[in-house]
Amino acid sequence: MSDANVNGNPDSTTPAQEPRHLRRALILWGVLSVIGIVLAITLTQFILPVSASDLDNADNVTIVVFTALAVPVALFVFVFLGYSLFAFRTEGRPTEDGIPLQPRPLLQIGWLGITSVLCLFLVIWGMFAFYQETATAAPNTLVVQVTGQQWMWTVNYPQYNASSSGAQVIELPVNRPVRFDVTSDDVLHGFAIRALGVRVDANPGEMSSTPLVTPTRIGSYTVVCVELCGLYHSYMWESVNVVSDAQFNAWITSQGGHL
Amino acid sequence: MTETRRTNLVQTLFPSVLSGVVLGVIGAIIAGVIVAHFVPDNTDAIVVAAYTGWVIFFFIGIGAFNGVWKWGFGRRDATPAEELQLAGKDQGLWRYFRYTTDHKVVGMQYLVTVLAFFFLGSMGAFMIRLEQAVPGAIFFTPSTYNTIVGMHGILMIAATIIMISGPFGNFVLPIMIGARDMAFPRLNALSYWLLFSIIPVFFSTLALGGFPTGWTGYAPLSVQELTPGMDAYCFTLIIFAISTTVAAMNIVTTVMVMRTKGMTWGRLPVFVWGVVLSVILGLTAFPSFLMSQVMVLMDRVFETSFFIAAFGGNNWLYEHLFWFMGHPEVYVIALPSMAAAAEITAVFARKPVFGYRMLVGSLVSICILSVLVWGHHLYTSGSESALDGPYMLDTELISIPTGLFFLVLVGTLWRGRIWITVPLLFVIGMLVNFVIGGITGIYLADLPTDEILHGGMFVTAHFHFTLVGSMVFGFFAAFYYWFPKMVGRRLNPVLGKLHFWLFEIGFVGTFTALFYAGLQGEPRWSANVAPPFVTANLIASLFAILIAVSVFVLVYNVVTAVVRGEPATANEWGAKTLEWAVPTPVPLENFEDLPEIKVLPYDYGATPAKTGSDSVVDAPLQPQAES
Repeated sequence: MSDANVNGNPDSTTPAQEPRHLRRALILWGVLSVIGIVLAITLTQFILPVSASDLDNADNVTIVVFTALAVPVALFVFVFLGYSLFAFRTEGRPTEDGIPLQPRPLLQIGWLGITSVLCLFLVIWGMFAFYQETATAAPNTLVVQVTGQQWMWTVNYPQYNASSSGAQVIELPVNRPVRFDVTSDDVLHGFAIRALGVRVDANPGEMSSTPLVTPTRIGSYTVVCVELCGLYHSYMWESVNVVSDAQFNAWITSQGGHL
Repeated sequence: MTETRRTNLVQTLFPSVLSGVVLGVIGAIIAGVIVAHFVPDNTDAIVVAAYTGWVIFFFIGIGAFNGVWKWGFGRRDATPAEELQLAGKDQGLWRYFRYTTDHKVVGMQYLVTVLAFFFLGSMGAFMIRLEQAVPGAIFFTPSTYNTIVGMHGILMIAATIIMISGPFGNFVLPIMIGARDMAFPRLNALSYWLLFSIIPVFFSTLALGGFPTGWTGYAPLSVQELTPGMDAYCFTLIIFAISTTVAAMNIVTTVMVMRTKGMTWGRLPVFVWGVVLSVILGLTAFPSFLMSQVMVLMDRVFETSFFIAAFGGNNWLYEHLFWFMGHPEVYVIALPSMAAAAEITAVFARKPVFGYRMLVGSLVSICILSVLVWGHHLYTSGSESALDGPYMLDTELISIPTGLFFLVLVGTLWRGRIWITVPLLFVIGMLVNFVIGGITGIYLADLPTDEILHGGMFVTAHFHFTLVGSMVFGFFAAFYYWFPKMVGRRLNPVLGKLHFWLFEIGFVGTFTALFYAGLQGEPRWSANVAPPFVTANLIASLFAILIAVSVFVLVYNVVTAVVRGEPATANEWGAKTLEWAVPTPVPLENFEDLPEIKVLPYDYGATPAKTGSDSVVDAPLQPQAES
């Protein structure tokens, strides 16, 4: 964009002594955008929670990228809005009218073009990231069957003939791909583990599978229910423990499963 | 009309809202007792029968059928005198409590209702913030909490759907296009009183045990036999859908056929475009809403199984029907608010709208694109939809016309003569919040990020930024802008600015904190806030206190303005649209002679800036004020 495009009215000529508003605002916007992008990339590291899987890590990266892209877009509006209010306000009721500007075709096309490119980038990035997540396959996949009911999760490990219904806990071995097959006994529930980037609805009468997710960090995380399921919805919590292979095997045996 | 009609007390009370309520209650009791006699165990059937009896007899009592009967049995149309009587001529304040057809009366009824809904809904919000300020369900039981969340949601959604098209679409829009009334004045009254009739239905849920589902009413939870309070939810939404459909058809027809001479589509004020596109979108959206609730009621009352998996039903059916309404509905709320913001910006920047056709094109594109975005609510539903990609594309395409909207508003302000008034302050707040709300929407529309944010506090914060921070701010801009015209009194601008700053700071603080909680993975609808999210929720609750104060500042401002505010002039802001060219208060039938339109109502800078009315219209505009 240049001065000529926005000062679109051919009749209006800028008097020489008047400040170059557009140039000032654009410079302000550019400087703030650079600072903003740097801040966004550094600060999101502290804002985002610890990620404990490849999936969650990829999703967090997407959040950072989108935030960095969003900063100049948001600042464009903020800067031009703020500048207008600062530079063009009148004291009390205005006695004369503003200059009747109309957008030139070049400005309209340019604006449409830039926003379209941004929008398509988001879509393509999203499709690509999502495809990467869903297209992976692994031979040693651990299958975990999860059944939601009001108001608890029951977990089965069909490959080991084990279940954790008594313990109210999900144990996962680190660095091994896992797939959750989720269903519900009564109403709609939402099975979500933020640290693993896993989120799928538990539908009554249907089995829904998550993409393969590989826990990468040993630690204790939480399953929550993210679809309102009645009275104790906000108490429908359970622990997820990502443990070493040896600990996982010991735990499976202790739950009555066989390796 | 010098003929004096002698009216005694009976004629005053019947028909009116009083006789409607009395007859409605009697009808509800009779219907309930009859059904209870046949199916004593089916509480849902008894409750729904009582609601049906209430609505039908309420309308008989308020005189909605009088004209129909007169025409059907007496074979005669209403005389002009009767029409004027119906429009509330010489009835003083009592006309607001009758089946009055004057569009200005209906607009005021809507305005009062919307403000009451906002007040009650915000009280629900403060209860939610109170409960979430500390971990654990301390102040309310989880069941009470769920009911509060659901009532807050429904009150606010209903209020925001009607907040612009109801009050301003009815009061201002017909004057703006140079019409004497709406195309179907009786339907206009019907649409309002349908809305009124569901207020007691909705609040009866409190006596029936509340409802556990929140505002979305997801089946099969809503079909579980927990409390009959759920029936109140379903019945409310069915009647609400009918009310908005009736209102929408009326507004569309009005704009199509009632425009004055010279008011071509290319000269319509942008606000009219916004309202028309909004109600057209509503016409596609609300029928599926109505159907989804009819099906839930059938599952509850007749034990059908639309949504029960064990008997061949499916919960995805509900989700699709609901969101087929639910997401276009967001744009039903957004379009008139955005259009009002553009209208107001042009007036206070003393500049024409920067690209009128660009703005209309942007609103039309949003209207069309938003019909097909609902599937993004089902990304994580497990239905493994091959359409996820197209849904994502369509959702994100909306950011392009939304971007044009920002260009229009920023361009309108650029190098204007900006008069910073309370309405303009709210427009600025709207733009700031809308940027944040719109950008966070991208995170939810994109598959990989929705995967970690869906169903969480991030969603709550996002849609509050768009619906409250953007669209309700747009409503308040319109409210402060048109209040002098509608009520004839000025609001105190100092209190208005106080309202704005408290609201904006409190709002941004509250929901920024909730964005943070959502990024950490806090689920929505939590009566019991879990330890990792306690601090963020406490901060949110503390900021909400500012919003609470702002609500009472507004209430005080409105009450004092109505009671002893200084009278407003006919053209309070120096605007050029037609509603400012008629006297305040606006006389019955609005115009003595219908004006003829020559140009767009934004010809600032083209002519010497005065009140501007003579540059817009040709015919002299001196209608006699209603005595």
